[in-house]
Amino acid sequence: MHRTAEAVIVGGGIIGNSIAYFLAKEGIKPVVVEKRDIAGGASGACDKAIILSSKNPGIHLELALKSADLYRELAEELGEEVEYRQEGGMIVIESPAEWETMERFVARQRRSGLNIRLLDKKETKELQPVLSDHILGATYNPDDAEVNPIMMTLALAKRAKQLGAEYLLHTEVTGVEVAHGKVKAVETSRGKIATNLVINAAGAWAPLIGDMAGLKIPIKPRRGQLLITEAMPKMIRGDILSAKYIAAKYNPDLVAQGEDLFSRLGVGLSLGQTESGNFIIGATREFVGYDTGNTPEGIEAVARNAVRIVPVLERINLIRTFAGLRPYTPDGIPILDWAPEVEGMFIAAGHEGDGIALAPITGKLVLQLITGQKLAVNPEPFKITRF
Amino acid sequence: MSRKVICRCEEITEEEILQAIADGARTVDGIKRRTRASMGLCQGRTCRRLIAGILARETGQHPADLLPPKFRPPVRTVPLGVVKGGSDDA
Repeated sequence: MHRTAEAVIVGGGIIGNSIAYFLAKEGIKPVVVEKRDIAGGASGACDKAIILSSKNPGIHLELALKSADLYRELAEELGEEVEYRQEGGMIVIESPAEWETMERFVARQRRSGLNIRLLDKKETKELQPVLSDHILGATYNPDDAEVNPIMMTLALAKRAKQLGAEYLLHTEVTGVEVAHGKVKAVETSRGKIATNLVINAAGAWAPLIGDMAGLKIPIKPRRGQLLITEAMPKMIRGDILSAKYIAAKYNPDLVAQGEDLFSRLGVGLSLGQTESGNFIIGATREFVGYDTGNTPEGIEAVARNAVRIVPVLERINLIRTFAGLRPYTPDGIPILDWAPEVEGMFIAAGHEGDGIALAPITGKLVLQLITGQKLAVNPEPFKITRF
Repeated sequence: MSRKVICRCEEITEEEILQAIADGARTVDGIKRRTRASMGLCQGRTCRRLIAGILARETGQHPADLLPPKFRPPVRTVPLGVVKGGSDDA
């Protein structure tokens, strides 16, 4: 098989598919090459939160706010059921120290345009009666939303296909042909594709694709283990995170120094209930290479954390565990940039746990950067040269 | 025949499984993500083999290559209170 493509997108996760959709809508017909299946990696092994509450004010929050607006449009525009709901999100606070931290965090977020506020104990319980009595309060953002990440990824792929994108699933990229500093072709397990444009949207695997073109991409896989319970009647609204999650997310060094089980595994609560009624409970944040296994101590730590905050979970049955590899970057911000030394190679990866939330704005921004259109946000913070 | 229910927990028919294969699914996981077959209470303990059989028939793969090499915990449903283990201070 030998073919030619206007663009080759490596990776059939939510990022690759969002880019495929935005390109195809603009008349650029990409070939998406995916070694497994659509949503076969992290996009099919994560939670469903599109959460703004947890985002650090600055470029991260700005990007997430823009993406949240796009989600509302996309959920309509795609014409598929993707279980998009806007039910708000909470970060629960368990100690006076966390309260102080969150008070400052919320003040900064409000200045950045987020509609977030602090709730006292009584208001918190009114909104989520299942929370434990020891919870001191919570932050609440009515604009946090949820989506079924698998359905969203499949819907983007379906529309992209209708608009002319081609999909090579179960097809592995085995090499990137570069001549005189320019991309010439992508070699795959099903033949060569001649192209002048390669978009590396391979998430945690992006550095392996980078290696093929002699590029160093500072992304590392970070494992998140999650639990799924049996389906129950609706007991919680929207998403619940813990203030500890914020620490695990923005302060991995602090977490690595902690000695207890939660700190060691980077556990922070992220809890939601799916449209089908299953609780989805996360997650660990561990550096264990490309291992997607579940461990007894990971499962135990996530379960213990969840039961402490929502005690009724104690009696609800666990039916499944899984793990996904988040593409970690040292500053928690994705890389959306042309490769410095290889003309025609674009990198769109490194969203860590925000791939679902940031997929729409990523697709749009990549289209704008590739075609030289006016940009939705300042691209400087996403440059690979910052590392 | 195609209205035959394959996944009883999620009530997924053979017809829906064939549609998923037409959409590009080549693995039991791919069928699961597209249809919810085996996402229910029994986690595919009954339908996984049936799905592998349909996939093998439709795509010419060997059924033994289609079943996942390892199972995710838990082996059977168990209350979270049991999983979380002992004391509450980690």
